[in-house]
Amino acid sequence: MGNVVQRQTRGALRFEVCGNMAGLELLSDQGYRLDGRKASELRKVQARMGVFAQADGSAYLEQGNTKALAVVYGPHEVRGLRSRIRHDRAVINCQYSMATFSTAERKRRPHGDRKSTEMSLHLKQTFEAAVMTQLYPRSQIDIYVKILQSDGGNYSVCVNAATLAVIDAGIPMRDYVCACTVGFVDETPLTDLCHAEESGGVSSLALALLPRGGQIALLQMDARLHQDHLESLIEAAMTACKGVSKVLDEVVRQHLQEVSVLSGE
Amino acid sequence: MAAGFKIAEPLEYHRSFLKDNCRPDGRELSEFRTTTLNIGSISTANGSALVKVGNTTVICGIKAELTNPIVEAPGKGYIVPNLDLPPLCSSRFRPGPPGEQAQAASQFIADVIESSAVIQTEDLCIERGKLCWVLYCDMMCVDYDGNVLDACIIALLAALKNTQLPEVTINAESGKPEVNLEKRRSLHIQKHPVGASFCVFDNSILIVDPTAEEESLSTSHLTVVTDEEDRLCVVHKPGGTSLSGEKLQECISRATARQREIQKLVDKVIHSVKTAQ
Repeated sequence: MGNVVQRQTRGALRFEVCGNMAGLELLSDQGYRLDGRKASELRKVQARMGVFAQADGSAYLEQGNTKALAVVYGPHEVRGLRSRIRHDRAVINCQYSMATFSTAERKRRPHGDRKSTEMSLHLKQTFEAAVMTQLYPRSQIDIYVKILQSDGGNYSVCVNAATLAVIDAGIPMRDYVCACTVGFVDETPLTDLCHAEESGGVSSLALALLPRGGQIALLQMDARLHQDHLESLIEAAMTACKGVSKVLDEVVRQHLQEVSVLSGE
Repeated sequence: MAAGFKIAEPLEYHRSFLKDNCRPDGRELSEFRTTTLNIGSISTANGSALVKVGNTTVICGIKAELTNPIVEAPGKGYIVPNLDLPPLCSSRFRPGPPGEQAQAASQFIADVIESSAVIQTEDLCIERGKLCWVLYCDMMCVDYDGNVLDACIIALLAALKNTQLPEVTINAESGKPEVNLEKRRSLHIQKHPVGASFCVFDNSILIVDPTAEEESLSTSHLTVVTDEEDRLCVVHKPGGTSLSGEKLQECISRATARQREIQKLVDKVIHSVKTAQ
């Protein structure tokens, strides 16, 4: 009854310890980053859908060392405030939280603090742009995302995991929502930042994209960046998102095949 | 047809199975669900474990921090368990501060840790009266399908066995602690407490390892925690219909058998991690 076991490297902790030392190169002369990737290389994405029995839709996604769980309940009757009922569309309720053991320092307030509330709001806004809420008036869709291990790119990993969970729940969307965080170092855009890069003072931009039409659902940048560089940064982010969408599409098709084999179609 | 009957008359539905001494998911009355265990997958935590008992999934992560020991016990460290039942594990839980069930379960786990003496808290002391380890054991249920207490105890035990603490020395001159991340040692686990939960149907039928539906339809619950020396650590029967002495004895012997199974499982998984490294 016992089981396969994996042991991850202590990579995340190591970077936390030495990340503040001066002279740590985020991009070496040969074009390699701290974890050996090239500037436009994404981290390895592994995902599984339909992992939980209780939820209507669920997904688990790992992007490098960042691990996130997304769970969707709905569409169901609006719970709580009756004033939130919209007569023509579904209300999306998102909650983002991090496990207390997800960061190198134990997180004292995993939810309810400003950062989590801001993230929850961003996720809600992102999915309101993609989910076809007009099909479910007077109802509510709950999206819960939990970060199990944090190594940079939290928002992007959450969006990607939540997309898979919404698809698993069978809720129609306009397109996949794929997100990526990019940073700008030495005149080069770096895609899919890890924690060491994010905390190393890089100007980072988070982008959520609906890949087929190239439409931006959410764009967030809060660092100093010269406006000449913005174009190339967005370009790099869009390419990365399109790469992620290919991987997510593959995961969905794989899952559908498995499910149809199991149900004997 | 069966699905309709199940929703309209859940109690009758379950009774019809119990008449034939089995349950809707095909188990015997005294059979536990398949238990799987995965350890060490969260590298930001000092120790971690993921346990699935049937569909119930609990993740436990242990973070160790340095702190001053409490005044009443200067030579000991302490363990702070906490169970989180977030709205993502089931639609019965609402967002907000921890509800009664989560708080009661956290306290229950704290009692299990204390009464079973799973770790000698003196091991967590670095310098008497000045510095000790505090282990924050955060358990998170991600899929709630009944019997979350058993899953938590197994997850906690596996995560503690997996925990590695770095070496800490006090610098004699400055009095400040120095953490050596290179040298790590495992915790010494003295006892292996394992829980078994039961519930009573219709005042007479005793079933083992209830699912969420069975829990909500039952008339009384019971949890027994035993360790490898056949000692009882905790017996918890929160009200409900009364239970006879013999039934209780049956439960205790079933719990002891379960303890053996789970201890073997945990040891096997820990061993396979060690050999894989």
